[in-house]
Order: sequence, then C-alpha cells, then structure tokens
Amino acid sequence: MEVPCKTFVIPNELCRRAGLAGVWAPLNEVAVFPSHLVKAHNPDAPSPYGPSNASVYKVRQQVILFEPILRKLVNEANGTFLSVQELISNNVLDSKVELQKLSCQYRSIIRACLENLQDEAMRDKTNYKEELQNYITIFYSVECVWHLCEILFVENIPGGVVLPHLLEWIRFHFPKYERKAATLLAGDLVGIETHPDYWQTVIGSLMQGRIEVVRALLRLHSAGDSKPFKLVDQALKAMPTYNIYSGVSATEFNLKWKHWLVDTQSKIDAKLFISEKHLHLMMRLSVGEETAWNEVQSHCEAWYELLAAWLVFTEPTVKSFELGQFARRCIARMNVGLRMRHLDYVLLAAMEADIIQVIKEIQQMSENGWFVSHLTDLLYHAGRLVVLDNNPESHLVGSRLRECFLLDYGTLLMGHTSLWQVGLSYLDHCPTEGLKTIELLLPRLPLKSEARTQKIIREAHKRDLPQIIQSICKIQAMNSLKRGHLGNALTWGIKSQDGTFTSLLADKFLREYCKNGKLLNIDLLDSLGSSMLISDRLIFLGKYFEFHKEYRSRNYKESANLLISLLSSKLTPKYFWATLLDDTIPLLECNELIMSSLDTFTLLHCLQEKSDLPELQDKIELIRLGAARNLSRALMYEAQLVK
Amino acid sequence: MFEAQEINAEHKDLIHDVAYDFYGERMATCSSDQYVKVWDQTSDGKWNLTSSWKAHSGSVWKVTWAHPEFGQVLATCSFDRTAAVWEELVGETPGPGERGTRHWVRRTNLVDSRTSVTDVKFGPRTQGLQLATCSADGIIRIYEAPDVMNLSQWTLQHEIQCKLSCSCLSWNPSLSKNHPLMLAVGSDDNNPSNGGKIFIYEYSDNIRRWMKTETISSVTEAVHDISFSPNLGRSFHLLAVATKDLRILSLSPIADNANVQSGLYKLDIQTAAQFDDHGCMVWRVCWNITGTILASSGDDGCVRMFKMNCINAWKPVAVLKGDGSHVANEGHRSSVCSAASLPTPPVAAVVSQTARYIKLGTISQSREVPWH
Amino acid sequence: MVQNVHGTFISEKINKIRWRPDPFNDSHSFITGSWDNDQNNIKLWNFEKGEDDADIYPFVIQNYEFEGDVTEAKFINSDYCVVSSSLGSVYYLKITNTLTGDVQITNEKLWSNIHKFKNQDPSLCTSFTVYENDVVTAGEDGRVNVLNLQNKDVLRTIEEADSCSLNCITFVKHSEVLTGNSRGQMKIFDLRVKGNQPTNSFMLSGDQIAATCLAYHPNQRHMVVAGDEDGSLTVWDLRQNSFPVNLLSAHSESVSEIQFHPDHPDQMFSCSFSGELWHWITNKPGSHGGKLLNVSEMESNSWLSTESIKNKFEVFMLMPKLHKAINSIDLSRDRVLCGCDNEAIYLINKVNIYS
Repeated sequence: MEVPCKTFVIPNELCRRAGLAGVWAPLNEVAVFPSHLVKAHNPDAPSPYGPSNASVYKVRQQVILFEPILRKLVNEANGTFLSVQELISNNVLDSKVELQKLSCQYRSIIRACLENLQDEAMRDKTNYKEELQNYITIFYSVECVWHLCEILFVENIPGGVVLPHLLEWIRFHFPKYERKAATLLAGDLVGIETHPDYWQTVIGSLMQGRIEVVRALLRLHSAGDSKPFKLVDQALKAMPTYNIYSGVSATEFNLKWKHWLVDTQSKIDAKLFISEKHLHLMMRLSVGEETAWNEVQSHCEAWYELLAAWLVFTEPTVKSFELGQFARRCIARMNVGLRMRHLDYVLLAAMEADIIQVIKEIQQMSENGWFVSHLTDLLYHAGRLVVLDNNPESHLVGSRLRECFLLDYGTLLMGHTSLWQVGLSYLDHCPTEGLKTIELLLPRLPLKSEARTQKIIREAHKRDLPQIIQSICKIQAMNSLKRGHLGNALTWGIKSQDGTFTSLLADKFLREYCKNGKLLNIDLLDSLGSSMLISDRLIFLGKYFEFHKEYRSRNYKESANLLISLLSSKLTPKYFWATLLDDTIPLLECNELIMSSLDTFTLLHCLQEKSDLPELQDKIELIRLGAARNLSRALMYEAQLVK
Repeated sequence: MFEAQEINAEHKDLIHDVAYDFYGERMATCSSDQYVKVWDQTSDGKWNLTSSWKAHSGSVWKVTWAHPEFGQVLATCSFDRTAAVWEELVGETPGPGERGTRHWVRRTNLVDSRTSVTDVKFGPRTQGLQLATCSADGIIRIYEAPDVMNLSQWTLQHEIQCKLSCSCLSWNPSLSKNHPLMLAVGSDDNNPSNGGKIFIYEYSDNIRRWMKTETISSVTEAVHDISFSPNLGRSFHLLAVATKDLRILSLSPIADNANVQSGLYKLDIQTAAQFDDHGCMVWRVCWNITGTILASSGDDGCVRMFKMNCINAWKPVAVLKGDGSHVANEGHRSSVCSAASLPTPPVAAVVSQTARYIKLGTISQSREVPWH
Repeated sequence: MVQNVHGTFISEKINKIRWRPDPFNDSHSFITGSWDNDQNNIKLWNFEKGEDDADIYPFVIQNYEFEGDVTEAKFINSDYCVVSSSLGSVYYLKITNTLTGDVQITNEKLWSNIHKFKNQDPSLCTSFTVYENDVVTAGEDGRVNVLNLQNKDVLRTIEEADSCSLNCITFVKHSEVLTGNSRGQMKIFDLRVKGNQPTNSFMLSGDQIAATCLAYHPNQRHMVVAGDEDGSLTVWDLRQNSFPVNLLSAHSESVSEIQFHPDHPDQMFSCSFSGELWHWITNKPGSHGGKLLNVSEMESNSWLSTESIKNKFEVFMLMPKLHKAINSIDLSRDRVLCGCDNEAIYLINKVNIYS
C-alpha cells in the first residue's frame, strides 16, 4: 500500500520565491520559514529577496481528539486500555471472555461519544455543526468496523457459526426497520397496511431475520386471516434456524432446511401466494430465488446489509472463514465494486480475515490514531497478530506493529497541554522503546507551576528516572534564582541531590553575606538538618549560620567552638576567609574569656596561612593583636586552673 | 491535515535559523540582517517579540539554546568570524505595572576563528556547559564554562584541525553513559577528490583528547547539514546528512575492537536510507524529539518529512511548499480526499480565539500516510 | 458498604470541586475548577436526583472562563465563593439567579496578582483559608496576604513569610494561621504581630518532605492534620508542643486533600495523586455501642490518642483506585464528590457515615 505523500501549501509568496527551511519544535510541530542555502565562502551580501517581511509558520497536525467533545473518548478509553493491559499482565485464564467484555466497553465508549456528538450537533446552530457531523461520520464508521472485528477476531464463536452475530451487527447498524416497526405498532393498528412504510418494514425485517416481527406485522394486516397470510405465517413458523446449542447437527439442520425449501418452493410453484404480491415476493426471497433478490437488493444501503440477508436464506450455516467469498459475491451482485467507500474496503478486508489490511485501512480514518492503536492492541492481545510473526515474507511483527501505534498515539497525547498523563500511560506499555521515549518527552513538559512540576517529578519517580528528576530540580532552581527567590532555589538545589550545583547556590548566600553582612533566608538555614550533607559548601553555610545563631543568643562559648571548627575544617571558601577571621574579633575582645589557648593557636595558625590575602590586609593586625591579648589571658587562666 | 500559525518575524532579510527552547515556548530567530530576535509564547498561544538586538556585524548563521539547567542562554555564530554566548537578564526594577524588563547580555565573544563561524552547538547536558563551533577554515573548537553560574568565563578546551572547510556540526545526544562524547562535522568542500566530507570525532577519557575515529568515505559531495538522531536505546547511532541528496547513515561501534590508547571503538557505517525526493541539493536536516520523523529542506524549496515505519523503513509522509497564490484562497477547502477515504474536517471553525491557525491547502489528491 | 459511584467525563482536569451549600436541602449543585488546560474554567453544575439514584447526569448550568489554573475554591455561603489562581490572583465570585431564571457568575472583587516574585513574574497562589470574612492566602512566592471580603485592598502582606514555596495554609484561631512549605516546615503566624517572624515553627518530618495540604478538626481547631508529598498524614495538637501526636503512613503518593466530616468529626476523607479516595473512621461503632462519643471530651478524640491508634481506625476505599490523580474531594452529608486528572468527576452516594 504505497501511496505518494501529500503536499501542503504554505500560503506565502516569499516562501515560494526563496524556498523553505524547516525545524522541529517541541513536541509535535514543525516551524518553516523562508530561507535558502548560503555558502560560507560567498561574500556576505543581502539576499536578492530582501528587504522583505519574513514570517515563521508553525505547522502542526490537526488533531480532532483534542476537541473537548472528543477528549471524553480519549480519557475514558484510556481507562479501558489500562484494564486490558492489567488483564493481560495478570495472566487470567479466561482472558478471551474478559477481552471481549473490554472490547464491548470500548464500543460503548464510542457509542456514548456518538450520542453526545448527535446531541451537540442537534443543538449547535453555528458552523461548528458541520464539523460535528463530520465527527459523527468518522466515529460511526469506527463503531461499525470495531463491532465487526470484535465478532470476527475477538469473540470466541462456537463452531464459527457467525450468522447470528452478523445479523446482530446488521440490526445494530441498520436500525431503520426496527424503528419503523416500532412506530407502526405504536400507531393505529386498524388498517396498518395502509401505512406507506408497511410492506417495506415487513420485507426489511424479514431480510434482517426478524421472523417474529414479520409474523406479528402480518397478523395485524386486515387480511391477516386470509389463506395466503395464514400460509406464510405457517411457513415462517416452520422455517428452521440454525443454532449451535440446539443439539441439532449441521447435517441434520441441512436436511431440515432442504425439506423446508422444497416445501416452500412447491407452495410458490402452486401460486398460493400470488394474490398478494408482497407475500409472493417474501416467499421467493425465503427460498433464495435470484430474481426476487434482484428486486430487493436496491433497497439495501450497503452490500453488507444484503450479505447478511442473503446468508440468512441461502447459507444459514455459513462459517466465519467463508464470509470473504460471499462478501465479494454481494459486492459484484450490487455492482458497487467501483464505488467502494473506505468503510467498504475495511469491512471487506475484515470479512476476508485480512487483519493487516484492516489495520492499514483504519490508519486512514482521520481520528488521529485513536482507533488503530486501541484495536491493534486488542487484536494483539487476542492473539490475532501471531499470523504476522509466522510469515517469513513480511518483516512485520505483531508486537512491533502494536508498539508503533502506541508510541505514535502516546507521543501525540504528550504534546497536549492537559493530556500528557494519558499519553504516558500508553508509552508505559511499549516494551522496547516506551521508556526511552518517556525519557525524551517527559523532561520537555513545560514546568509552569510547582504543583505541575511535582506531578511531573512523581511520574519520573514512578518510572525510576532519577536523572530526569535531577535535571528538573536544577531547572527549577535556576528559575527560582532568576525570580530572585534564592531560598527556593537552594531548596530545589538540595532536592536535585547534585552537590556541585548546590555548592554554587550556597556560594550565593555566602557572597551576599560578604557583600552586605546579611544572611538571607534564615528560616531555611535554620532547618537544613541532614540535608546539608549533600555539599561541602552547604555544610559550611549551615554551620556558619549556627555560629551566628549561637552568637546572637549570647552562647559565646558554643559560637567560638563552631567558629574554630570552621577555621580548621578546610571547608572555608577562599573569598570567605577574611570574613571568617574577622568574626573572631568580637569573641577575642569579649569581657569574659571565650577562646582557649588552643583555640587561639588554631586562629593564629590560620592567620599565618592566610596572611597574604589582600582583603585581609587592613584587619590582620587588629586580629593578631586581639589574638595575642586573648592568648595571654587564656594562658593565665588555664595556668590558674591547673593549680 | 495540517494547520499553521503565522508569526511575522520582522526580519529584514531571509531567516537563516530558527531555534526553539527546550520546551518549545520560546523561539529565537536569526537573519542576514545581523539581528537575533527572541519570541515568547503567551499562555493563549500567541507569540510576542520580547527581545531583538543586533548581535553581529555580519550575517548570523545559527542560533541555539542551552539546556534550561544553565538558565536562559543562547549561542550564535556569524560571518563576522565570531561566536557569542548570550544570557537573559531580568531586571528586578520594572516599570509600574510591567513585568520585569528583559534583555540579553553578551556574556562572551569567542573570537578565535579567522573566518566565518558556520555552526555552533551546545554539548549534551550531562557534560556541563560545553560549546562546539566550526568555521570555514576547517577548525573545530570546543569551549567550556567551568562555573555554570558565571557565563562570562569560557575556556577554549580543544582545537581540532579538520583540513577541509567546515559547514556544520552535530553532537551525538545519546543518553547512554557507555558512549563516549561524539561529534560529527560536515564539510561543504566541493571537490569530490578530497575524499569523504563527514568526520566523526570522539572524546577519549583515557587521553583527554578528541580523536578522529572516522571519515565517512561514502559521502564525497559537499555536505551542508548533519544531525544525529535521538537514541532510543539502540546499539547504533543514526546520522542524517544533507548533501546532493538526503542520507540517513547508521554508525555502529564494532565490539572488541577498541583502540588500545584511546579506548575508542571503530565504527561500522552503513547507509540506512537515501532519498532523492528533493531532486536537487539538500541543505538542512532536523529530527523530531523522538527521532521518528526527519524533516529536510532542499533547493526545490520544499520541506519534506520522512517517517520510520514499523518495519524500520523510512517513508516520505508529507511535503510543505510555499505558494503565495494560495493566500487569497485561505478559505478554500483544503482536504479534498480521494473517494476512498473518509471525509475530512471542513475548513471553517477551529480558528481558536487567541492564536490563529490557518488550514493548509494541499496539492496532490492522494491518500495521506498518517503522520502519526 | 454499599456505594453508588457515578462518573462523568468532562473534558478538563479538575483541580478543585466544591458543593454549593444549600441551607435548606440536600445540595444538588457544585462547582468545579480546572487546571492545566489551554482555557481553564469554573463550572457550576447541577444534577437531578433520579428515583433510585441509578442515573445521575450532572450538567453545566454556567461556565466562568478563568485565567490560569484554579488552585483553590471555597464557598462562603450558597451565593458567594472565593477562588484563587495560578497567576496569583484571588476572586470573590457571586452566583446569582437572574429574573429570567438564568444563573450568572459574576466577579464581585478581584485581588489581582497579589502573589508575585521579585522579578514580577506571577506566582501561584497555592492555598487560602477563610474565617468569617477574613481570607489569608499563601503562594509559591513565600508570601502570605491577609484579605477581607469587604475590602478591595490587601490588608497586610507578610513579604517573606517563607524562603520557600508555601503549599498550604489554615486558620488555627481567628488571629493565627498555620502554613506548610515545600520542605515540610510548618509555621504559625500571629496576624496581630508585625514583621515576618512566625510565633512558632516546626518540621513535618526530618526528611524535608513537602507538606501538601492541611485540615483542622471541626470541633477542635487546635487539632490539625497535614498531608505530605509521600502520602503520609501527620496529626498535631497545637496546644501541646510542636511534635506530632500521630504519624499515619497512608497513601502511596502525595496527599492532595483531607477533609473531616463537618457533622461527624470522627470521620475523615483523604485523596491522593495515587488515585485513591479513602474514608477514615475512628471510633468504631462496635466498641462503643455505635454511639458517637461526646467530642467535647478530650479523651474522645481518637485522632489525638497516641496509643494503639491503628486499632481505632477503619479505612475504606470509596472507589476502585483510579489510574490518575484525584486532586480534590468535598462532602455533603453522605455524598462525596471528587475531581481528577483523568478529566472526570465522580459522585459517590450513600457513603456509610456512622452516626
């Protein structure tokens, strides 16, 4: 199925003259702009196209699924999709039956969506109505195909006796006769046959195999007691129906069927129904008379409507695998081969059990992959794609096919502001490339608020993607920094668990202190706890804050201990030495003795080591003096203690 | 079906490059008019010009965003022989009722090149803030900012002589830690007898040097753009090449064949796909984020998109083409499909209240291969 | 437990859902506030109660287009509600029935961009708390704003109430609010005291786990429950000290909201990003003869009883775990509403409230 790709027109003259260049924009958009190749060696001159007004065009796929009315379908189906995955991963024994239930669930979601669309289309007076009608057309086809695929590929039909299911399908999708019958029965029953729809309804019901309805309508005919009517009623009552559970074997049934045909044919030949042409026609249809069928087939809206009817009276025991040939016959019979719509092709492919063709066709259904992703997934789990794997000719593999659709669908949803969480749950179920795709897409989600960021981080956490969490935290820290929210930046830095990065943030606090003598965000510094351990600089900052805190609460001894431990810690950044050494002065000059001789030696040692720091030059003498005085005080005091 | 939003870029000449930030919320453009412009998307989808400045004294060839972990940072390169790194500053003292004033400051001007700087790209996020440039005289330079909070300090870490004039470069974005840093450089040298026009360099941690591991001999015509595909956990790398046609090359490290000194592997290079759809010179290639669709631009004036299908074969999926005669036809029904396909949405509606999107008309009437 | 769960898909993710109080009858009306959408909305819903509750279809009566995400919403009475936005604004909305029978939502007052960062970027208003006409708001900018519904000005701003993002705030007395931040630091501010210093502060846990939501006991305001990022609930008696009385590890992910039943404070509801909706019951009917104890007695408050608290609880899941986050819950008698990230709202009828 190789088809040439479409060319789309960018309505811009400059783009035509100069030519287009394109770049991708996250996530699913292409930006195109007028440009042309300039070789590096050419002289740098204005292009022949300027001066001109160049525009950038952001091109994206139109996604109908993002319409509010269809988003219900996206979200609700997501629940069912996840149930399918759960079912499979739980290895339930009876998964086939459960799968069919879930298939029904999908269909009821489509049905709800269609009803919703119909309500809306009725109500809408704007030109959006046309759009809604269009969606109805699309999803009606989706429902129709899904139903048939469910019957043929998901449901476990005993003995492959497909006709009752096929009839159910036809009745569901061509409800007109049922509705008309209901209208007729609800109206005036006297002279019911004078209603213009009467015979159409009777014959239509017959063709849908609703024998009881036909008999009921015939009984209401004012001539219902006459001979031909009685005979028809008897014949229809006697008509055998094939049922796998009736205990009648196929051969036995065929004998009965043949017998009934001969019997009915003889009544037709005896012209017993000729007085009422409609009855005559009905009986001729019942025995499968070609000319009779030629008369009615024009009333069929579609070849598959004819197919079901025709099978009722000619091939009641038809098996699923035989459907294709009969379908082709009906198409030929109705001469619609050249007028096949897309839906016709899909249904035909399904009846011919050509699953790959079905999948290829439904890709075209302009609902942005919702259908093909979910159906392919279902068929894969129903074991229907195994045929692919066994075919050495094709490179297609069932699991790969399923994953491709899910990847595309998930990626599409990831590009939507609100539906990204839904998108993730599809990518989660792509065993080979899902996680890598998430790794590429998840960090691209705009962070916007912290609330949203937390949700994105949780998703990364659930999938064990620590490097993404780290990156997001660092981006948040940078954003907070840009906003002048230093405390929050440090919080995000700590959350990032990146020591180097956190150190750079801690530096900002220390440098600010050097500059303005103010420690910022003390509520934060006061409650760092063990989180400070991720970076040396943060430990220094935390401890330095503690020193300040102790000093302010006049616990000079504790503050001196902290200061001395910082001085000897090797954690002090170069730019902070002057400040740190300067901080010793008030402690040295205190009335009571704070620093021991040992402390003072440590200080003097540091002072010696850092003596050539330029920013220390105007203070160093002062500190030295203070230290010397303190040392003498301390030594005297300590000497007294020893005594 | 596609729809498009027009943003009048207000450049006075053709645009050479458009770059989106990591999230697709900001857009930078550059042009022969020597200006760089930055656009921000508002919450209702419109694009506003928030900064515009004369960045160079020659045509600005490329503009590129650093990863947001490093803040709001751009790099540009120009015919004026320089590359520059720009950082956005947000003033804390806005005018009354205004958002903070934003402006871009040149943090560094990289003036080592003696000729036009043809491409500039930031290295992978995990490597810190690295910047690679290449120039028309065939020199590749790798710079680094050791302190990511101080972008005015850049050091020239490596200088690699490539001999042929360089037109483009691409970092391998591979997420895996097992791959060494890899750079591909393309040359637009016109002489096929000068041999292969794509060079692969890898960084050896052992000897702390960039080593040329490969010259791709299958491409001997001038190369105008190259781009590594994001790696989805594959064992091989994919490189898109814009030359006289469009190529996709696969590069697989050959196991058990590491160079003793550098610890680097030789590469097995195969052509994974080759397209002559443009029918002429191709000069721009770009991968989408997941590396599933490749967009190429050529001298036929078209942007063509190629998608990898589920049997790992590349297929053209859509073409974009400029045509001013369709302007008046904006309302024309764009989606005339073949009889076999379902009716597609009509043209009316879906003009969102805020950001205006126009539906794009089509030329061919064939059935469309789904983009997704 | 027999419950009826009615789900409705509504095409937007719901961040807040609140019953519209009806002073005389069972409420049949509620509002939803969306988030993360291109166009966010506040919607007023109604539903008709069927004969047997079998089919309940809520329908929208009025839509109010909202700028930014809806971050919190609270009814003051049946006609007025306060709503906050991700752009740092607070709205005082009025619901009126017009003469023609239509319902209108109008903006009575707007405190615009009262949360913002130093560079003037808008900041999310994360939470607010209401006491009579007083409203106190908290934001990601670490600010606290004091408003009065009768006054269009911001009465007071505590500029740097917190260095980090504030996630939740609640009145503990008319003059005191409790805040929780993104590192789990809890602070009590006395609104009468000037300056940005709290009167008390303590940590949720030692691990810098963010507090996500707060609720107080309807009869005993000093009893406060906080939910956190890891899904745990922490209970304090603020009269005693700053150490939690109880720590309950509950959900597997962030707790999004906690609510006590206003008439039955022995029962509590919590929901989580994990998609869980839980009903907590202390004071099991069996052990006390099914009678509600007199809550004025300190001992009767099982939430504060330290010993063997596990034995005093029963926890019920009100509906099967959802695949997406539940962001908000609200209750009215025996009916619970919840709003979720799967773009659906759920109404649960006949929740078994022991009384």
